[in-house]
Amino acid sequence: MNKLWSKQIRAVIRLEMKKTFFAKRGLWIYLLALAPVGLFFAHTLVEIHFRGVRHEMSQKTTRPLTEQDFSSIHDGMTRDDVVKLLGEPPVSRTGARRVRTGPHSFDQNSFESMRYSDGRTELIVNLEKGAVVGIGMSTGASLGQDTYIFAGVFQFFFLRLAIFFGCLGIFMNLFRGEMLDKSLHFYLLAPVRREVLLVGKYLAALLAATVIFTTSVALQLIALLSLYGSNIIANYLYQDHGWSQVIAYLGITILACVGYGSIFLAAGLFFRNPIIPAAFVLIWEAANPVLPSLLKQFSVIYYLRSLCPVDIPVDPGMPPLLALLISNAEPISAYVAVFGLLAVSVAILAGSMRRVRSLEINYTTE
Amino acid sequence: MSNQIVFDNVSKFYGDVLGVNRVNLSIPPGITSLVGPNGSGKTTLMNLMTGLIRPSRGHIRILDMSPDQPEELFRVVGYCSQFDALPKGLSGYEFIYSYLKLFGHDAEACDELAWRAIDLVGLREAAHRKAAAYSKGMRQRIRLAQSLAHNPRVLILDEPLNGLDPLVRAETIALFRSLAKQGRHVLLSSHVLHEVDIISDQVILMSGGYVIAEGNIQGVRSEIDDQPMQILIRCNRPSDLASRVFKEDHVVEVRVHNDRRGLLVKTSNPDRFYLLMNKVALDGINIESVAPVDDDVNSVYEYLIGTEEVTR
Repeated sequence: MNKLWSKQIRAVIRLEMKKTFFAKRGLWIYLLALAPVGLFFAHTLVEIHFRGVRHEMSQKTTRPLTEQDFSSIHDGMTRDDVVKLLGEPPVSRTGARRVRTGPHSFDQNSFESMRYSDGRTELIVNLEKGAVVGIGMSTGASLGQDTYIFAGVFQFFFLRLAIFFGCLGIFMNLFRGEMLDKSLHFYLLAPVRREVLLVGKYLAALLAATVIFTTSVALQLIALLSLYGSNIIANYLYQDHGWSQVIAYLGITILACVGYGSIFLAAGLFFRNPIIPAAFVLIWEAANPVLPSLLKQFSVIYYLRSLCPVDIPVDPGMPPLLALLISNAEPISAYVAVFGLLAVSVAILAGSMRRVRSLEINYTTE
Repeated sequence: MSNQIVFDNVSKFYGDVLGVNRVNLSIPPGITSLVGPNGSGKTTLMNLMTGLIRPSRGHIRILDMSPDQPEELFRVVGYCSQFDALPKGLSGYEFIYSYLKLFGHDAEACDELAWRAIDLVGLREAAHRKAAAYSKGMRQRIRLAQSLAHNPRVLILDEPLNGLDPLVRAETIALFRSLAKQGRHVLLSSHVLHEVDIISDQVILMSGGYVIAEGNIQGVRSEIDDQPMQILIRCNRPSDLASRVFKEDHVVEVRVHNDRRGLLVKTSNPDRFYLLMNKVALDGINIESVAPVDDDVNSVYEYLIGTEEVTR
């Protein structure tokens, strides 16, 4: 690359980075990026709290209990049967419920909710009139389960909403925002090829978006893993493809910024009102699973979905539309996905370069 | 290589709205003023020159360069537009410095050039303050510094004296003069005509998107044959002189000056009038001075356009 161009691109990046990272109007992007971090930290805190409660209960039982003991309880047993098997409950709540027995008659039913724990699993036995009417068992979080939750949050919130709207806020403003601020002409009055200016601005925004969203992914994973002991984490990272999943999530995040960034930079150059292209792209991306094969290739999510390292299991009882969104009927290889996405992004950037070359500054009509 | 700014049959339309039409100009170095009321096409001409907008028709060459080549053009052209906005979050110094970095200069050169430009507009003390907090006059000066910072051969300034206090205004005019003396182009727009009169080597008068006259202001005035020229004669006997000159058929109006020490005469033939003054002097009337009073931009503009929209 021309040495002057590289210097000019660095100068544009320096100028833009300051604006992108510290702009007050970009505060919502940080909130959007950090929302799942808050979610996973909250999940960790709640889980730690319940883990403490379960441990406390397990200490109070008359003898150490196992999951086998819990599975021996069934509906219809009397309170005495339960106590004989599990001992007196460490936590119990009793009360009475008014039940209608006729048009003008009521009866008082006594109930009790007994809770046991083996330290990991919690058993809730509901009794009415001294007999078991319901059994509930809840197990604390497991890393295996949490990786599915993470995959779900990543695919359906982070990729489709957080990165999507974050890139919209960052990239759409590269040219459109400066036209509205009436300050774009300062760039256009410098001895810089407009294509070089576009590349500089795109790279600056890409750097900012990448830093913000990969940091968010890293923090989400830290929040998630902080719940587990070092043995479980080491096992996940080194034995259970954990590192490759972490790298895949970070890579997908960067590719999402590359793809959505190019789309929204172009949208900022071609459209005055960002709502229209943003709504169109959002609908287009959401409708990707039902599009014909050829059209599918003109979307970012098509490539990103095939790169996601964890497939979310489709529940047979799921609504068909949700199942369609979750399942990836036409997965493509990682190479095709990466190069396909990069090719689409380069094509969009090339179109943007043509547009910026002929761009006219007429602030009064903006 | 040409040292002229050339407009070759340039037109610009914003949809159906006329910006400028059929402009043919060849602007030499020196101070050139674009004069005209709001909407006359001054800013459109400047934006066309700097490639911010493209002509609908015709060609523009700035010292033999096309406005489509910013990488070459803006090494020799500086443009201080009338847009008052500055990039957010930057101090005055950072604004100039980062603009210079886009030229590919190293940090040391940028620093030196930035301070030189800041000193030229007298903003050293405020240089590290956020530009967004500057007063209107300071913003105008820092934008002027930005357009000057790379030492351009062509300086294009849209209403550069707006918002400046009288002292800074005088200093700025002196700066323009010194740049023009160095053989540079200083092209400025203004609707304050007395300033244009003071500083311009040539003027381009515009109205409704058309160039209606161009050149040295006295030359433009002398070409307006259908408007009688107004001449002030300072003398010791204005009443006698009035009766003497009124007999001439080319004299269309005679008025004794308010201070009663001179005569204002409108003549359709200035050359014959000056000859007459020579004769009158021989007749014993003591004539102190004879000078045209309507060869300023305002009068010329009024004669050509028939409007007084521009500000005196």
